Amino acid sequence: MIVMNQNSKPSPAEGGVLEAPKRTLFQENWNLFRKNRLAMAGLVVFVIFFIIAVGGFFLTYGRSPVFDPALVRLQEKLRPPLSKPNLETLKPEELPRLGIYLFGTDDLGRDVFSRMLQGAWVSLTVGFVAVGIAVIIGIILGGIAGYYGSGQISLGHLLASVLVGGGIIGILLGETAVGVLLVLLGAAVAAVLIRMGNSKGKGPIPMGFSVLFFNLFSVDVLITGLIDIMLCFPVFFLILTVVALIPSKIHYIMIVIGLTSWMGSARFIRAEFLSLRELDFVTAAKALGVSDWRIIFRHMVPNAMSPVLVSATIGIASAILIEAGLSFLGFGDASYATWGNILSSGKDFLFDAPWLTFVPGFAVLTVVLAFNLFGEGLRDVLNPKLKERH
Amino acid sequence: MLAFIGRSAIQKIITLFFVSIISFLIVHLAPGEPSQIDPLNPKFTQEVLERFRKEFHLDKPLHIQYLYYYRDLLTGKSVSWKDNRPVLKKIYERFKNSLWLFILGTLITWTLSFPVGIHAAIRRGGLYDRSTTFLAYLLISIPGFFFAYMLIIFVVTHFHVPVIGMETFGISSTGWHWFMDRMWHLLLPSILGAAGGIAVLSRYVRNQMLEVESQDYVRTAKAKGLSPDKVHYKHALRNALLPFVTMFGLILPGLIGGSVIIESIFSWPGMGRMAYEAILARNYPVILAVNFISAILVLVGTFISDLLYMVVDPRIRL
Amino acid sequence: MRRILIAVPTLFILFLLQSYLWVPSYEEQGENPERLNEFIEGSIGDAQILNPVLSADSASSGIESKVFEGLIDRDEDLRFRGRLATHWEIFEEAYFYVNDEAWIPKVGKKDAQGVVKLLRDAIKARIRENAPLFRSLGKIQRVEALPARSFEFSKKDKNAEGKKIAVTIRVAAPPRIRLILKEVDQELFDHLSGLLGREYFSSFDGARFIDILPETFSSKRSAYARELLPATENNPVIVFHLRPNVRFHDGHVFDAEDVRFTYQAIMNPKNLSPRIADYEPVKAVEVLDPLTVRVVYKRLYSPALGTWGMGILPVHLLNSKALRQEAMHRGLDPDKFTLRQSEFNRRPLGCGPFLFREWKADQYIVLERFEDYWEGSPNYKRYTFRIVPDLLTQEMEFYAGTVDGYGVQPHQVERLSKDPAYQSFSGLSFGYTYIGYNMRREPFKDRRVRKALGMAIDVDKIIKYVLYEQGEKITGPFVKQTDFYNHAIEPLPYDPEGALRLLADAGWKKGPKGWLQKNGKRLQFTLITNQGNNLRKAILSIAQNSWKHIGIDVRTDVLEWAVFIQERVNKLDFDALILGWSMGIDPDLYQIWHSSQTGPNQLNFVAFRNEEADDLITKIRQEYDHERQVQYCRRLHEIIAQEQPYSFLYVGKWTAILDKRIVIKEVDPEGKPRYSRIQPTKTGNYTFYFNKWIKLPEVPRFEMEG
Repeated sequence: MIVMNQNSKPSPAEGGVLEAPKRTLFQENWNLFRKNRLAMAGLVVFVIFFIIAVGGFFLTYGRSPVFDPALVRLQEKLRPPLSKPNLETLKPEELPRLGIYLFGTDDLGRDVFSRMLQGAWVSLTVGFVAVGIAVIIGIILGGIAGYYGSGQISLGHLLASVLVGGGIIGILLGETAVGVLLVLLGAAVAAVLIRMGNSKGKGPIPMGFSVLFFNLFSVDVLITGLIDIMLCFPVFFLILTVVALIPSKIHYIMIVIGLTSWMGSARFIRAEFLSLRELDFVTAAKALGVSDWRIIFRHMVPNAMSPVLVSATIGIASAILIEAGLSFLGFGDASYATWGNILSSGKDFLFDAPWLTFVPGFAVLTVVLAFNLFGEGLRDVLNPKLKERH
Repeated sequence: MLAFIGRSAIQKIITLFFVSIISFLIVHLAPGEPSQIDPLNPKFTQEVLERFRKEFHLDKPLHIQYLYYYRDLLTGKSVSWKDNRPVLKKIYERFKNSLWLFILGTLITWTLSFPVGIHAAIRRGGLYDRSTTFLAYLLISIPGFFFAYMLIIFVVTHFHVPVIGMETFGISSTGWHWFMDRMWHLLLPSILGAAGGIAVLSRYVRNQMLEVESQDYVRTAKAKGLSPDKVHYKHALRNALLPFVTMFGLILPGLIGGSVIIESIFSWPGMGRMAYEAILARNYPVILAVNFISAILVLVGTFISDLLYMVVDPRIRL
Repeated sequence: MRRILIAVPTLFILFLLQSYLWVPSYEEQGENPERLNEFIEGSIGDAQILNPVLSADSASSGIESKVFEGLIDRDEDLRFRGRLATHWEIFEEAYFYVNDEAWIPKVGKKDAQGVVKLLRDAIKARIRENAPLFRSLGKIQRVEALPARSFEFSKKDKNAEGKKIAVTIRVAAPPRIRLILKEVDQELFDHLSGLLGREYFSSFDGARFIDILPETFSSKRSAYARELLPATENNPVIVFHLRPNVRFHDGHVFDAEDVRFTYQAIMNPKNLSPRIADYEPVKAVEVLDPLTVRVVYKRLYSPALGTWGMGILPVHLLNSKALRQEAMHRGLDPDKFTLRQSEFNRRPLGCGPFLFREWKADQYIVLERFEDYWEGSPNYKRYTFRIVPDLLTQEMEFYAGTVDGYGVQPHQVERLSKDPAYQSFSGLSFGYTYIGYNMRREPFKDRRVRKALGMAIDVDKIIKYVLYEQGEKITGPFVKQTDFYNHAIEPLPYDPEGALRLLADAGWKKGPKGWLQKNGKRLQFTLITNQGNNLRKAILSIAQNSWKHIGIDVRTDVLEWAVFIQERVNKLDFDALILGWSMGIDPDLYQIWHSSQTGPNQLNFVAFRNEEADDLITKIRQEYDHERQVQYCRRLHEIIAQEQPYSFLYVGKWTAILDKRIVIKEVDPEGKPRYSRIQPTKTGNYTFYFNKWIKLPEVPRFEMEG
């Protein structure tokens, strides 16, 4: 689960008392982690939630699921939790599977328990996908900045990418002819660059083309600049703008949350890479002729992951909260139940049907809290500076 | 030093330029038109719609529109489409309201986080530490609006006093009385606004303290037999505090931020709500102006914090 | 250090908490006697611009209706009644060009004088064998010939290369006949052709009388002729007689110039008034004397009278000189300064029952009663429009008594109306909710499918459970409480079996998996609606669910408003949608139902096409006679109900909850106050007597109980 150092392979725990303590780092961390009761509680809740979410997926998915979260029974609306269904007005297929409305029904008579089940997996997916996207972008950009940071971007590079980018935007905007022309021009510049670049050492570059090799700034400047630009937008505000402007489908919401929250992990990775690059094992790997690709993904990424892991755990929690906030403002996806939209649509009935608010409210609270505590425990364990000396 | 300032100023201006382009593109390439152009109103003929588009320069190519907007914004002539009022004036009006929340929220965050974080660090692993950890995370784990409703209902049903709005509605009081009334109305929203901050900052203080306490000089001080209070509060704290000085720069963007949700629930006419309504109504000048100003604040904020960092820690050469 | 760290936050928090002691509790606020003289209305959103000429949002128009006053409005029974106008007359001036080439039956070709004589004789002769002609002639009060005249007209037009060029048109118009009718008659010329010959009007060739420069534009000759020399012209005229001695809030006396100015302000293209379409048919607004205004229309347009309910602006504050001064004062360019920029829109002044006092953006708008209001000043001293953006806190403020009225939601009505402290009202609103089908697409081309879809939805259930009985079924596009609505039409029954039979007739049969199929294709479509309307969202789920029951595979989508409109509705890219129309009382259905309005960006987005309906729609908007309008409307209603382009679902109800202590107070001649309960009018408008409302310390005993 947590591979801190690839030098120490996780070995099966040894039971012998008399043997010298040959604990792997993982076990050491695990033992440390176990002592943190709050974090353990978080982990337990997280595991339970995970099981519920996976179960919820199978129980609520498809045309006729076991628990149908979309089944409307208007005559049974706003029934309190644990109440019995009215057998006379319901068709047999409309009866709740459990025989009672475990968590009551909502304003359309839908079974809140089924909706919570569906919400569990949808909310979990929102959290995981959003954070997954953020972490992947973060690793790629942060990794490039950290590893290739000193590479220079020349005028030619810039020209080519501006031309191609502009062309693509032009095509998207409907000006196909201009767009195609720009893309072709950009490709031409790129071709010139590559040919000249190959023959660079062999002979002088013809006048005029040398302008293309004028170095502007480094890759690192480019990526940190990009991060700075992204940080200039208030995140929730940015999400809100984008979500207001695109169809409110749950997968778009996940993507948008992911695309707007990668900056943290990119920074962490970049910082870690900058220091790892100078370490001996990387230098050794380079000297052995290991490819860059392999160095980055086999040696550096695993070692740089720990701060990212912590921020990812907390990121999942905040993605769930962001989705709830968006639902509150009416930008949720109504075709799926999420805990956020059950909660926000329940608040209209706070005085008539408090369970519609409290059930999802406490569910969100518990799960998010569990994620946060777990993440905090992880941080404590993974941060060597904070380790208690034994 | 001067070189640093010059270089970073140029950098920030370039960043700002890109921010302005990106926000302009996001706003403009998205579907939807300003709500003044209401195609579902049978009273609006195609001709009227065209005239509105022309008035808002929406018939021009994008780059021309871009120039128009930022020219108007920078010369202060930008006008809100919704009510034809100058954008900067509108923002200033809202800014005055949001400022209250910002100041009180920041004060609550900073005065509470330090004692809580420091004590937690000193009693690491103890009951106090664990309960504050738990509480801090509880605060950031509650969906904001759920928490807000719980608080409002609790206060209204138990104390029978108004909590929403900027002051008790319809009672025109002055002076001290007015001030205290305002304080009361600020209390709940700023606690809500500060909740996340307290949680994060107190954790940060705690970790910072722990880090410093594990340094050799602190352990030496302890070994020397200094009283624990003196060790904690004199030697450790002073050094642990240093990084926080730089955070003063980072709270600057909060000036123009403001949570839509809290402002809506508490009927607080602040920046967040204005921006939110502007997004819904596609009131481009307002959206862009808010975005631009907040970008400036972010950039100035990081600049200040970089400077402070240099001042505080002479080892750093930027 | 340690002590400071503990003391400072503790003191700070204590300081914050003690502020509680300074805040008056709800009880103390309620006991304030001043509170009884104030009506506080809660609203989710702020007004945008307080100028009746410029605003298009409902929050603004609510305030404007209190600050401004129109010439007329509608009374309890939705009939027009005079406000700033005491009374008015509607008549018509009709024109036609003398067609000296046309052969008039029995008399041959005639010049102007001949036609005049012919008409005068016919009026005297009372030709009874042709009843319609007789009716039309009976309306004519005066016949006169206008001499021939010449004029020049220039305009810009596109030439063959698409460039705009100035075109000069010389017109030598033939003599014209003017008829003055005592009432508007849309069939006048139809009927007159019974006298002058069937071809008399249609054969008039205006192109003979015009010269065009440059010559290249000659191909457009007949188009120009139609524009400049129409064979016939109907000019309805409204003459308003204004109420004397009405004052604006600043004491200035209201007169006819204000009316003309208001019209000009709307028509001024710089002002970008959203009401311009309403007044586009106006030819001229003439001031006959300070208390008489004459409005002449270019063509028959029966919704015309209703548009004069528009609030009247004070010319003395907004004329071009005043605007120039304001621009100079504020340091703006006077040439670019328009009514839109004026500060007037933030502190309006009219001659309505309440005068404007204060506006704090997104907090409140305060109005105070106007003591010199011509109808007697209102009972409430103040009217406050308070913005509380959150529905839940709005409800709590209402409970606590710091909001008197708010847009209460159906489920709240049910609970609050049980509370003895409140009185509740409901009445039908002017808006209906429907599911519209895109009739350009399969399977909605088939009427049976549309009808079956409607029959599969249990509207009664929606009304009962979703609307909490705050709605009624509706069968067509007219306002239910008007005469135009055809009550003889039965709503579609809820009958899923019948729906299946209809679908089977149309070829849709149950397939292997239980889905309906035709030629191997599943009956499948997407139902969309906009975000932010919970009722529509609920209907979306219900419709999806009930259609699924009979084997229709329905996808759903909820879209943000702007996207919904721009990408789907305007581009006609949808299968079925849930939307609502809020109707004017006037039965003009042209934009929404006429077949000429089915293009992109137009409102007949379901593509309803029916020749008879088209004819009726045009007739309705040209008919000034109420009874006949009613006849046309009922027939139109019948056609639409038959065709089912929409599944008409329900018309919602206004619901309102008020404190029981709010009553109507009238003072009888002896000066004794008399209280009566607030009753909604027949049409469901409970605020009709708002000016007589007052809140009392306790619920009074009502005279004539029951």
